[in-house]
Amino acid sequence: MTGSDGPPTTPTAPPTRMVVDARGSWCPGPLMELVRVIKEEPVGTEFELLSSDEGSRKDIPIWLNKAGHQLVELRPDSGFDRFIVRKTHE
Amino acid sequence: MSSPSTSSPEQMAIVLTESATDKLLPFATLVSGAIAMGFRVDVFASYWGLSAFRKGPSAPVVSPGHGELGARLERSLTTPKAPSWRGILEMAKSLGELHIYACSQSMEILGFQKEELDPLVESVTGVATFIDTTRSAQITYFI
Repeated sequence: MTGSDGPPTTPTAPPTRMVVDARGSWCPGPLMELVRVIKEEPVGTEFELLSSDEGSRKDIPIWLNKAGHQLVELRPDSGFDRFIVRKTHE
Repeated sequence: MSSPSTSSPEQMAIVLTESATDKLLPFATLVSGAIAMGFRVDVFASYWGLSAFRKGPSAPVVSPGHGELGARLERSLTTPKAPSWRGILEMAKSLGELHIYACSQSMEILGFQKEELDPLVESVTGVATFIDTTRSAQITYFI
């Protein structure tokens, strides 16, 4: 239901990747940063969100599920988590 | 967003009566979380909750009675990386539908003018109007 009505994407071009470093930001700072950049950037953009807030581990997937965007990967790092997220629709 | 909320978004209603920073930060956090989740948020700022919205900078205030933890919180809140509750609300408002109303009774009793309040406060409202606006809210809080 989502993704089919967005603007056409060029399948040959790799997705733009944007790093959002929200480490040190308190809950719900990392989520709000993600909400903001997803609103601003075009469909197809990938985001690499870094968060040291423990709440993000559940908050981010719950929000993505509600908003209908894609969690490509959740990778724990040392002292923070790395979320790879793709904007799938406006 | 693709949630089934295109016609009428889910709604959170909050009555705010407190002004200590340890009440305002959880309040602002709840608001921004709800906005992120696609809720419309309506806030009735009353008494000390309204006084918190007077213009100008304010030093962090920690509720008494928490001993050493209170002192620790106060130190935490005065560091440069400490979150600003007004900043959190401003960001929330830029991302979604946040309405903050000044309780008209509090305005009179405390002798406030609308111009003294932060622009985050959109209007002065009576309690019946607030009840009417939030009658269908799925989540309600009294802080």
